[in-house]
Amino acid sequence: MNLREDLILRHVGEDYIIVEPGQDQIDMSRVYTLNETAAWLWEQLQGKEFQLSDVTNLLLDRYEVDETTAADDAEKLIELFRAQNLLKG
Amino acid sequence: MNDSDTNTVQAGDKASLYYEIANLVMRVLLPPTVNPDKVLPSFRPFLRDTDAGQLVSTVKVNFTALDEDITATKLLSEESLVWGDHFQFRESETYYYTILRAGHGESEWKMRSSKDFSTNEVYAVEQEIHSTTVLAWLLMVTFAQAALPYDTVLIHASVVERAGQGFAFLGKSGTGKSTHSRLWLTNLPDFQLLNDDNPALRIANDNTVWIYGTPWSGKTPCYRDLGVRLQAVVRLTQAKENSFHWKKGKEALITMLPSGSALRWNSGLFAAMTSIFQRVQDRVAVGHLNCLPNAEAAETCYTAIERKQKN
Repeated sequence: MNLREDLILRHVGEDYIIVEPGQDQIDMSRVYTLNETAAWLWEQLQGKEFQLSDVTNLLLDRYEVDETTAADDAEKLIELFRAQNLLKG
Repeated sequence: MNDSDTNTVQAGDKASLYYEIANLVMRVLLPPTVNPDKVLPSFRPFLRDTDAGQLVSTVKVNFTALDEDITATKLLSEESLVWGDHFQFRESETYYYTILRAGHGESEWKMRSSKDFSTNEVYAVEQEIHSTTVLAWLLMVTFAQAALPYDTVLIHASVVERAGQGFAFLGKSGTGKSTHSRLWLTNLPDFQLLNDDNPALRIANDNTVWIYGTPWSGKTPCYRDLGVRLQAVVRLTQAKENSFHWKKGKEALITMLPSGSALRWNSGLFAAMTSIFQRVQDRVAVGHLNCLPNAEAAETCYTAIERKQKN
């Protein structure tokens, strides 16, 4: 899978956000807020083809967690990206 | 003013006009039979006699028809706040197309623009060029996109100014932006209207933030060739009592975003606009005013900003 290339992660004040242009001129654009871990992963994964195992390994490298917890968190995060339509295709 | 006051440079069969808005130059080429002061009266204060300055966009106006079949191009929108359903916005590999019918007319105006809106051709309806505001509107659409790479965004706002300082009021159509500006002019000393609908916000090279009058001001004829330092941006919401609060970071960005005029279909232009607002929220106070249409609303807003400036 890939992250969408047309979206930009922004560090605004204390928040990490992604702004999705609303397709309607009148409508509000959607703004997603990412926590620090999600934002860090977004930066690592940008422009790359990746698997669940890549995300798990990234989490294992950065945080002191066991493999089961990392795999679990990785899965949740990918689900979140998918649910918010941040993945390509 | 008589016609000879208008500075024109002949280029081929077209007269070249240079309009400077927010320190950015638009070059407009009109057919020689057309008097620019009559066709674009609100642009008169922005006319320059040379092409000095940063050229961002060229618009060539023709009275011929667009010699291209665009029925196969991708339809992006069929509705506009201004033109209702007499409007289409289309896209091909190379161009954007703006198509509209004005008033009761059956004839269509078309504009073909490069993807960054730096080069545009208008195929105008000759008999409607004086009786409608289509050309001025097309130039606004063009400027709003072409200015974005130059840290400049056209915003939907009413703006008052005093002594080189500007205060911008945002809000959905019908919220009372113009009314709130009037309340400042009536109840606070020495304020004047800068623009009532579409001012240009610009971040200068030294990172200071400026707000400029433009040739587009909605129903209020206020076309001032003036830029002032932007002190505050305030979004208005109608309410049963007046209250003011400040917005920071993400909230400040979200407060401004719906009032920017970038096309939602072009992710590059939209990202450029978002980046401008991201920088503005770091440098200019952004607030929200719940308000009634009364003098106390203006005083509440002004006092909050004045207190912030002192801190």
